[in-house]
Amino acid sequence: MDTMIGSRYDSLREETRSFFAANRAAAVPAGPGFGGDASEVRRRVVEWQQRLVDAGYAGREIPQRYGGAGHEPDPLANLVIEEEFQNAGISLGMENQGISMFVPTLLHFGREDQKQDLIRPTIRGELIWCQGYSEPGSGSDLASLRTSAVLDGDEYVINGQKIWTSGAREADMMFALIRTEADAGKHGGISYLVLSMDTPGLDVRPLMTMTGDASFNEVFFTDVRVPATNVIGRPGQGWEVGTYTLRFERNMLGRSNATENYLAGCVDILRETGLIDSPVYRDRLLKLEGRVQAMKYHQLRLLTDRLKQRDSGAGGLIVKLNNCQLNYDVCALAIDAMAERGVLRRGSKHVRDYGNWQRNYMYALGLIIGGGTAQIQKNIIGERGLGLPREPKPAAV
Amino acid sequence: MDFGLTQPQELLRDSIARFLAQGVGIDRVRRVMDSESGHDEAIHAELGDQGITGLLVDMDRGGSELGMQEAAIAAQEIGRAAAPVNFHSSCVLAPLLIAGADGGERRSGLLEGIAEGKTLVTPILDAPIGNGRVDGSVPYLPDAAWADAFLLEDEGSLHLLDAATPGIGVEPLQTVDQTRRVAEVTFSDIDLGAARNLGGNAANTRRAVYAAQIALAADALGAARKGLDIAVEYARERKQFDRIIGSFQAVKHICAEVLAEVEPVQSLLWHTADVWDGGSDEIEHFAPLLKAHATDVASHAVTLTTQVFGGIGFTHECDMHIFYKRAGYDRQMLGNPTALREQAAAAMYP
Repeated sequence: MDTMIGSRYDSLREETRSFFAANRAAAVPAGPGFGGDASEVRRRVVEWQQRLVDAGYAGREIPQRYGGAGHEPDPLANLVIEEEFQNAGISLGMENQGISMFVPTLLHFGREDQKQDLIRPTIRGELIWCQGYSEPGSGSDLASLRTSAVLDGDEYVINGQKIWTSGAREADMMFALIRTEADAGKHGGISYLVLSMDTPGLDVRPLMTMTGDASFNEVFFTDVRVPATNVIGRPGQGWEVGTYTLRFERNMLGRSNATENYLAGCVDILRETGLIDSPVYRDRLLKLEGRVQAMKYHQLRLLTDRLKQRDSGAGGLIVKLNNCQLNYDVCALAIDAMAERGVLRRGSKHVRDYGNWQRNYMYALGLIIGGGTAQIQKNIIGERGLGLPREPKPAAV
Repeated sequence: MDFGLTQPQELLRDSIARFLAQGVGIDRVRRVMDSESGHDEAIHAELGDQGITGLLVDMDRGGSELGMQEAAIAAQEIGRAAAPVNFHSSCVLAPLLIAGADGGERRSGLLEGIAEGKTLVTPILDAPIGNGRVDGSVPYLPDAAWADAFLLEDEGSLHLLDAATPGIGVEPLQTVDQTRRVAEVTFSDIDLGAARNLGGNAANTRRAVYAAQIALAADALGAARKGLDIAVEYARERKQFDRIIGSFQAVKHICAEVLAEVEPVQSLLWHTADVWDGGSDEIEHFAPLLKAHATDVASHAVTLTTQVFGGIGFTHECDMHIFYKRAGYDRQMLGNPTALREQAAAAMYP
C-alpha cells in the first residue's frame, strides 16, 4: 500500500507554481477571504476561470474541440494540481452546476452539435446554468415530478413548476427533467431538456433563503416552447441522464478541498485572536482536524479504488453526509472564535472575511438538507451500504 | 498512490483472520475473560507460530521484517476478534524498542524469543530509575503478571530486567476489559547491574510509542467494526411490532451514522501507518491525531451499536460488551484522546 503521491508529478508541481508566479495579480483567493462587490467579484472570477482554462488547469480533460485542454484523464495529476492550488490558497476556478454537473453529463449523453455549442462557453464561465429538478410535490421522491411537455410539431410545450432552483436569475440556461410521456410509467416518461432562461413563458420568482440571499427560486412554466432537438439523450431517457448528473452533484457537495481551505481560515482566526493557545479551542480545532484528515484520506482511497476498478463498498455513500456536516462545524468554530463579532453579517462595519463565515455556516446547513437530506443519506447508507430493510409502505387508509 | 491492500497484505489479513476465527474464537476469549488470571499460556506461542508476534522483527532474528502497515492490519484483526493479547505492547512497542537500540550482542536471543512467541516482554516507559538503581511502583502495565522480562525505559535508555529478579513484586489489577489485563510492578531498590543495558535513545522510544499508538487505534477500529457488524446482523433479524427492527429509521440511522464515522478512519489509519513506515517527521502529529480520532470514533460507535440490541445488549451473554470494553481500553492506554489532541496540536501549531 502506498498512500503517498510521490515524486512522479514534481514537474507538474513546478509548472503550477510558475503559473501562480506569472498570474499572481489576477489569482482569485480560495477560502473565506474573498468577497465584496458582487459584479466585481463576478468579473474577477470569470477572468480567472478563463486563464485557468487557457492554461489547462480548468476543463483539463475536456477535448480541445470543445474548448478544453484535452489532457488524458489522470486523476492523480488532478489531485496534484488541487494540492498545489490549495497550498497556495488560490481558487481552482468556478465550480457550478454547469461546469461540474452538466458538462460531464453532456459529454456522456449529448449529440456532437450540442457538445460543440454548449461546452466551450460553459467551461469559460460565459454560460451559466441552473438545474430544474425539484418540484413542490417532488423533493426526495424526485421521480414523481409532474412538470410536463407535449410535442407540438417540432417543439415541446412545457407547463408546470420547479422549485429550489439555485441561481435561476443569474443563469443563462437550464437543464431540466420534464415529463414528456404521460403513459410511460414513473421513471420512463421523463426527458432531460435544456432551455434558455429567456424563453417566453418562463417566470422566475426568487425565494429568499435564510442566508439573506435569494439563491433559490421558483420557476414557473406557462406554455414554454422548446425545440424538440433540445433533449439530451433520447426522449424518455431522462431519469438515467438526470441521475447521472446527480452523481456529480454528490461529488461537488462533498468535496474536501473547500473544507480544508476553511479549516486553514479557522486556524488564522484562532491565531489572530490568540485563542490558538486556549486548550479548549485547541481541542475543538484538533477534533475537526481529525475528521478533516480522515475524510481527506477517505476520498483518496475512493479515488484509488476507482482507478483500480475496486469496489469501495459503502465508502462512497458517506461522503456527502460527512463533508456537509464537517463544513458546518468548521464554520461554527470560526464564528465562536469571533465572539461578539460573530453576530455581524455581510456589509457591516467590522465584519470579518466579508461575512463569508456566517453566510457559509447557514449555507452549509442548506447543503445538509439539499442534494438528498442527511436523513435520506442515512437511509441510503443503511439500506444500500448495510443491507438493512426498507421501511414498509404504510397500509392504505 | 494506492490505498488498497497489496496482495501479500490481503493474504496476511485473511490468514490472521482465519487463525483468529478458528484458533481464538469467542468461546476461548470468554474463557480467558472469566479466568482469574486473564492469561492463556498457549496463546503467545500460537501467535508466534503464525508469525504474528514477529511481524516487526528482522528476518535474521526470526521475524518477517514487515512494516507498520502489516502490524496495523494484524492489530485490527486482533481487535476484531477481541483476542486476549496486548499486541501493541508485546508485539509492537517491545520489539521496536529493542530493535532500535544499539545494544548489540546484549540483545542476543531477545528478538528471536519475541518472534517465536516464547518471550513476552513488558516495556515500562519512564521507569523510576536514578543513580543506577530502579526503585518504585509502576501501575497499569500490560501483561506484567506473566511477563518474562521488563524493559525499563528512561530518557531513551533501555534496561532489560528478568521478571524473576529478586526485589520485583507484581500485583494484578482488575480491568474493565477482561480480554487484556494490567498489573502494578514494584521494584524495591534494585541495582541495574542486574539488568542488561541495551543502549537506546529518545528518538527510538518516540518512534516505538507512535507505532504502539497506531496499533491501539487499529485495535479500536477492529472492535468498532465488529460491533457494527453484529449490531447490523441483529437489526436484520430481530422483530418488534411485527417489523424487522432495522427497518425502523431510528435504528437504521444509528447504524448508518456509525458506518459514516468508522469508514474514513480506515484510510487515516492506513495513511498514518504509511507515514510511520516512510520515516517522515509528520508522524509526530499523525500518530497522536489518529489515535485520538480513531478511539473517539470507536467509543461513539460502540455506545450506539450497543443500543441497537436493546436490553440484550446490556447483558454479559451478548458479545457486544466485549467490543464495547475493548474500545475503552484502547482509548485510555498510551494517551487518551484529549491528551493526544494536545500533543498533536503542539506538533501542528507550535
